[in-house]
Amino acid sequence: MKNHTLLAVVSILAVSGSADADRRQSTLPTDVAVRHRRLLVKNRFELAPLFESTINADFRHIIGGGAKLEYHLGNIPLFGDTLSIGVVGVGSTAINTKLVDKIRPTLEPTIDNKTREPSQDEFMNRLNAMPVHGAGYLSLTPWYGKLAAFGQAYVAFDFYFQAGISYAQLKSNCPATVCSDMSPGSSHEDSNGVTVQDEMPLNPNNDPPLNNGSRVGVYLGGGIHVFLNDFLALDMTVRDYAFTDNPSGADFNADLIVSSADNRFLHHLFFGVGISVMLPTTVKRTP
Amino acid sequence: MAGTAIAQPKGKKGPATAAPGKAGKAPAPDKTPAPANPGDAGGEIEMDADDGKQAGAGSGDVNPDEIDMGEPDKQGDLNADLNIAEQNANAVKATPVKKTPLSWQDIVVVIRKPFLKVRRTELLPFVGTTMNDNMVRHYTVGGELAYYLTDVLAVGVEGLYYVHSFREPFDLVARQARRLPTINQYNWSAALNFHYVPVYGKFAVFDHSLVTWEASFTAGIGAGQSEVIPRDTKFPGFTNLLIVPNVGASMRFFLSKWLTLSLGIRDYVFYDHFEPKNRTEIMYATAADAKDHADGSLINNVMFQIGVSFWLPTTFEYTTFR
Repeated sequence: MKNHTLLAVVSILAVSGSADADRRQSTLPTDVAVRHRRLLVKNRFELAPLFESTINADFRHIIGGGAKLEYHLGNIPLFGDTLSIGVVGVGSTAINTKLVDKIRPTLEPTIDNKTREPSQDEFMNRLNAMPVHGAGYLSLTPWYGKLAAFGQAYVAFDFYFQAGISYAQLKSNCPATVCSDMSPGSSHEDSNGVTVQDEMPLNPNNDPPLNNGSRVGVYLGGGIHVFLNDFLALDMTVRDYAFTDNPSGADFNADLIVSSADNRFLHHLFFGVGISVMLPTTVKRTP
Repeated sequence: MAGTAIAQPKGKKGPATAAPGKAGKAPAPDKTPAPANPGDAGGEIEMDADDGKQAGAGSGDVNPDEIDMGEPDKQGDLNADLNIAEQNANAVKATPVKKTPLSWQDIVVVIRKPFLKVRRTELLPFVGTTMNDNMVRHYTVGGELAYYLTDVLAVGVEGLYYVHSFREPFDLVARQARRLPTINQYNWSAALNFHYVPVYGKFAVFDHSLVTWEASFTAGIGAGQSEVIPRDTKFPGFTNLLIVPNVGASMRFFLSKWLTLSLGIRDYVFYDHFEPKNRTEIMYATAADAKDHADGSLINNVMFQIGVSFWLPTTFEYTTFR
């Protein structure tokens, strides 16, 4: 009798244990990676005053300040809360690179059209600057996490990648006394019907540089937010504003004429650092 | 969080709550509870209570006075228990497996670091490229062997072999400004490095999988060789032996217990010697003469490096409880 009672109890316990196991089925495979996550960017505006500088520029460093305005979307199909849209705009000044500082003193001080080398003014006045540049973009934030620095400081961060349309205002200022050939490469027919260049020999050093004006191109970027608190973050970004340009304003394709054919699609790499202010300043949490 | 997890006391293990007279002496909620007395189950998670139970046995307590347990208590036998556990495991495998927490011991508040480096050797083959030279771009193939004295400190040796290619401005300056740039190429370098890993973190990828990573700083000293690329090829070049300190920072992503992905930036700083200006057939024509009159300059060769690390031994053991 005792054995039967024991068997019955064990059976009941086993059945209840099995049912309990069914109820306690693990949901880990389908769960989100992080629960009670602070939604540091979702449905928030991001306003970031920033500083930006070119990386490894050839002739002129472009250094300036501006701002980034971004809105982080929420619950987009396929992307969840990882998408945002934004614009960035920077006003800049130009500083000669060390390469320019090395070349300039070695050039002839005054214009000599008998030589192929440019004068100092011909070389310097053709270089362009970028007073204004910016972009409109779509941003993806696929990675977020937290880190411990020195085992004490715990901060949240996220990585983001951006793609969009870039814009730049280029400026060069070559006076007519230096860039004196107003119709470079023009020619005429002589009395025998033979085409003759107006300027012989061709001299690209006195041609207008043709490297100013507006440019529209492609924008790519990638960066990291390091959150200092719920609404302030250190924002570091590498940005690539790619558009047609001829930074030296000189003859690139060796046809001895400076023309639009000397422009080529160039990448203008910048490193930017700013402080992002997230609005509203309070954050929500996931379940 | 760890200090705030409180389990319900077991009904048969003693008083469920402290005696009224002791209630006023209970620790404040924001403090870590004091260790419980052997007979006091209040406020402590019973880590051993589930160990003796078989899987699927339920959580109800059994009063031995009401139920015949079949045989009296006997001394525990480890082998017998293990055999029973194995049989039960086989029985469970025969049915659809449900992944469930087995006990409180399987619930951890703070997970352990998934990767330990202490007393392990890292073999890191890597490639790199110049980041801050717009005349000549060097590509490197190299390797580093590092031994971790602790989980955050390591000492290692590295070696790099360089190849180079000229960038657009090298030709442009010659063609547009009629000037030939003075360029050195780098042939090799080696260094003794020290690594410090102050930053450790993890991130979620698309909110579904977690990746752990760390950031480290490196400082080292070594030697290298540069070689002058003559502006006029009719003159011979010469080589320079360089003392090359380096500093850098890198990130490491953990892929498995023996495999990691590393990427970082390293600044190799050295004082290099370049071909003298105005080199002619009657001045500095020989390599030795040119080297004696070389122009010196401090160089920062900043390189981006990426590689995959292999760790030996390929596994590790935790020395602390999780």
